[in-house]
Amino acid sequence: MSAGPYNYSYIFKYIIIGDMGVGKSCLLHQFTEKKFMADCPHTIGVEFGTRIIEVSGQKIKLQIWDTAGQERFRAVTRSYYRGAAGALMVYDITRRSTYNHLSSWLTDTRNLTNPSTVIFLIGNKCDLEGQRDVTYEEASKFAEENGLMFVEASAKTGDNVEEAFLETAKKIYQSIQDGRLDLNAAESGVQHKPSQPGRNNLSSDQQASKDNCAC
Amino acid sequence: MLAVHRDVLNIVQAKFLSAEVVRSIHLNVSAIDGRRCDENRILALVEYNNSFALFILISSKIKPLSISDLSIETVIPIDEYFSCDTEPIEGSQFHIIFIITYKKIVRAFKIEIGLESSNFASEVIRSKEVSLYNKPIFVWLDKYIGTMSEPSHTSDLGQTDTPIIRQHIAQGPSGINRDSMLKYQLKLKEPEFTQKQEFSIFVGTWNVNGQPPSISLRPWLSCDENPPDLYAVGFQEIDLSKEAFLFNDTPREAEWYKYVMEGVHPKAKYKLVGLARLVGMQLVVMVNSQHYPYVKNISVDTIGTGLLGKMGNKGGVGVRMELHNTSLCFVNSHLAAHVDEYERRNQDYKDINARMNFKRTPQAIKDHEQVYWLGDLNYRITDLTTTQVKTLLNRHELPTLLRADQLNQQKERGNVLLDYEEGDIKFQPTYKYDLNTDTFDTSEKARPPAWTDRILWRGKGVYQVAYRSHMDLRLSDHKPVSALFKSEISVVDPSKYRRVHEELLKKMDKYENEYLPQVTVDQTEVVFELVKFRERQTREITIANTGMVPAEFEFIKKLDENSYCKDWLRIIPYCGSINPGEKCDVKLEVCLETDLTKIYDILVLHLKGGKDMFIIINGDCQKSSFTTSISTLCRISVPIMQVTDEQWRLALKDVSESSVLYSVPRELWLIIDHLYRHGLKTRDLFESSALHEEIIRIRDWLDFGSLDPLPGNVQAVAETLLLFLSFTKDPVIPYDVHDACIAAASNFQNCRQIVLQKVSDLHRNVFLYICMFLQEILKYSNDNGYDAKTLASLFGDILLRDQIRNSKPQASRGKSNFVYNFLVNDMSSSIMPHK
Repeated sequence: MSAGPYNYSYIFKYIIIGDMGVGKSCLLHQFTEKKFMADCPHTIGVEFGTRIIEVSGQKIKLQIWDTAGQERFRAVTRSYYRGAAGALMVYDITRRSTYNHLSSWLTDTRNLTNPSTVIFLIGNKCDLEGQRDVTYEEASKFAEENGLMFVEASAKTGDNVEEAFLETAKKIYQSIQDGRLDLNAAESGVQHKPSQPGRNNLSSDQQASKDNCAC
Repeated sequence: MLAVHRDVLNIVQAKFLSAEVVRSIHLNVSAIDGRRCDENRILALVEYNNSFALFILISSKIKPLSISDLSIETVIPIDEYFSCDTEPIEGSQFHIIFIITYKKIVRAFKIEIGLESSNFASEVIRSKEVSLYNKPIFVWLDKYIGTMSEPSHTSDLGQTDTPIIRQHIAQGPSGINRDSMLKYQLKLKEPEFTQKQEFSIFVGTWNVNGQPPSISLRPWLSCDENPPDLYAVGFQEIDLSKEAFLFNDTPREAEWYKYVMEGVHPKAKYKLVGLARLVGMQLVVMVNSQHYPYVKNISVDTIGTGLLGKMGNKGGVGVRMELHNTSLCFVNSHLAAHVDEYERRNQDYKDINARMNFKRTPQAIKDHEQVYWLGDLNYRITDLTTTQVKTLLNRHELPTLLRADQLNQQKERGNVLLDYEEGDIKFQPTYKYDLNTDTFDTSEKARPPAWTDRILWRGKGVYQVAYRSHMDLRLSDHKPVSALFKSEISVVDPSKYRRVHEELLKKMDKYENEYLPQVTVDQTEVVFELVKFRERQTREITIANTGMVPAEFEFIKKLDENSYCKDWLRIIPYCGSINPGEKCDVKLEVCLETDLTKIYDILVLHLKGGKDMFIIINGDCQKSSFTTSISTLCRISVPIMQVTDEQWRLALKDVSESSVLYSVPRELWLIIDHLYRHGLKTRDLFESSALHEEIIRIRDWLDFGSLDPLPGNVQAVAETLLLFLSFTKDPVIPYDVHDACIAAASNFQNCRQIVLQKVSDLHRNVFLYICMFLQEILKYSNDNGYDAKTLASLFGDILLRDQIRNSKPQASRGKSNFVYNFLVNDMSSSIMPHK
């Protein structure tokens, strides 16, 4: 039988949340395409992106859901939190209002995801130092108080974008190793490499069954 | 274990994670749903971590060759609520019925008696025992509920925490996106693994005028020398009784089916593919049994377009299937009668097309590769008298007559059956004959002969070999018609198919990341003009596939909602597939049937395996007496659109007795008064459905007020009465006493007590007022043809209407019996006098 293997062993689900105009779609685009998207239109819906990364020698496929930030869609976008392994919560360092709303985004995230979901705070647009409205120290303190990971990043220059997505994945992978994350729960937002249709998948999936038994 | 069994077990196992072990399977299972029997089911018992579940899989082939031939229909957890049982089938030594019960769900399956079935049943029973000792956890099932092909079953499962199908996000590339990609690529490569093969298809239609079968159908169905590969036989008016009309139940279905089976070509054996029936319309599709293994994805649907736009005295019934690799759809329709009603017929045709929705893709009639449309289409010959028609017939001047044929005229104008073809008509008109003769109508009415019964088709590779009528069958006032086709069907070469299939899977693995579906929508905010009661408004949005792969889109439910859109909106189609570079127009149709003042919703357009888009729907509504509560209507003295804001506020708020101005709503009085003066003697007063525009004119007349007389003919006013009572904000008899009414139905005194004690004054007035009017109608039953039972059935479902609107034409006997009491007893003294 032909092998035709998938080239990754896990799938992680991410969501990106935060106020309108903080640059969520640009961060996603920078991460998946390594390009800055100028004049990015407002997202009316939930965009979807994917990229394969490597953590500790394991290939992981990230499935990223980039949600609309507009307040009127808030009730609808809430249904996308469920089953996220990682949540990237974004604000704009040049607009204090977007920072002030973080606690409300955080409340939603905590209520709608499971305890093992990794939340990463991103202060976007750090290339616009001159227009800074929120200090690094202030946001850093907020992150610490709430147990979030934190960086300042720029979707325009690409600074720290890669890091934010990768660090989140590392943390999730750690949770799996520690056994804190139940792999087979649909809520976990993590899946093993799916079985290959139409072929015997004994060899490649033995690993998976072992892990499943462990939890 | 048989080798076949083991192969299929491996394929079924591939549908699951490796830790989810398929313990046992049962092949060749038929799901029994009422009278219908859906074959090609596979039952699979799956275990994960000591928790068991029974999966019902649909296989698109008799023997699945790969994972993409299987889809999950239902998932049933095996826990304390689960039970199974078997039941013998009368007269069958080889099959039994296997019954699975879970909470409120009962599913029945026909299986063959043997080693396989006893092994499977004992495994299931054992798993149930295991589940009683452990506390099984079923979270692992969640992800499958999202992939089920018929989501309607999931709501019954009691697992209500899956309103939005998000589970397959985490399933990634093994999700549905992959399936659709595969399907698309396979279609593109179809020529590489298929070849065209000619099949003969016999299509017949006959309006039997309510006569029971009594003569052999062989002269009609077996008139050709060679046996056809496939039969589609349609009847109309198999039962004209009120019973059939109201309850959609008739013994004739089985009788005609038996006669068809006896009438098919003796040189071959035939097997039923699908039978669809609605009231008097029946369609039987059969194949030569040697082809049966190559028939898949069978689905039937029925659409009523008669009274209230849903009753089944007119409409269409359809059967769809795939024969080898070609999708076929057969539609038998009976369109509106009467010479002048050709617009109504066009409308019926459009409604059938718009509403017929099969549970297999493609769902719409038009998306099938070949469609055969048959039936009593009821189009007549216009502008010629009976004598002229007969003279032309005697002179064999068929072309002149065919030019005067309404179907040809309407078709030419693009109003009906637009891209369908019809063969040359070389036979006599098939309507209307004196019963048991070949003589055209000699009755007083002497209707001009007409080609009411027709067969048309659309699709590539369809060639008509014969088109004829069958004069020898003299049972009815119509003659049967038949057509024989040679149709090209693409037939799969299994080994070539496997090779192409495997290559595609490999290719897809490689390019996965590029294969995300992408679409754009031309507008994300749709604003409707002033929305009015039952006046449909349509907006179109265009979804364009800008990606590299086919985009399977679907409008999906939001959290905590039970449908993908509000009940005032219809989305057509609500799901579909768009090939790269192509577009799909989606119709958003608003039809207001409640008292909303504004419509607002956010629709979620989901791409399988891809992103979601939001579409905002917005609009203001115009109020109407039709959706207002009886209590409010009795508190306003002028047409509803003339009421000032202040008066309206008061009428809604004030529930005191002193504010009541009328003992029944003014609108109701106006309608009934009109019917009382003009309609008591009208035959079939409540059975013909009015043109939509007429109803709208009557609505506006009532809501705006006018000095002109009430518009519309008397049947339109009668339908307005039914509509009015069907949509008032609250039903005439309140929901919470329906059960009591049905329980009391056999005893008038009990019914009377309920009406006197449990129904508020105004509602009681309306109820008794209607009943008195119906009693008045019954006084003229010689003229109008109504009896108390019929009227009671007609009004029972309306006066005691269900909270959830019933879209299928079927009356409740309990409700009808309840109303019956008030049609044969006098209660007029209990009406509150007008102040």
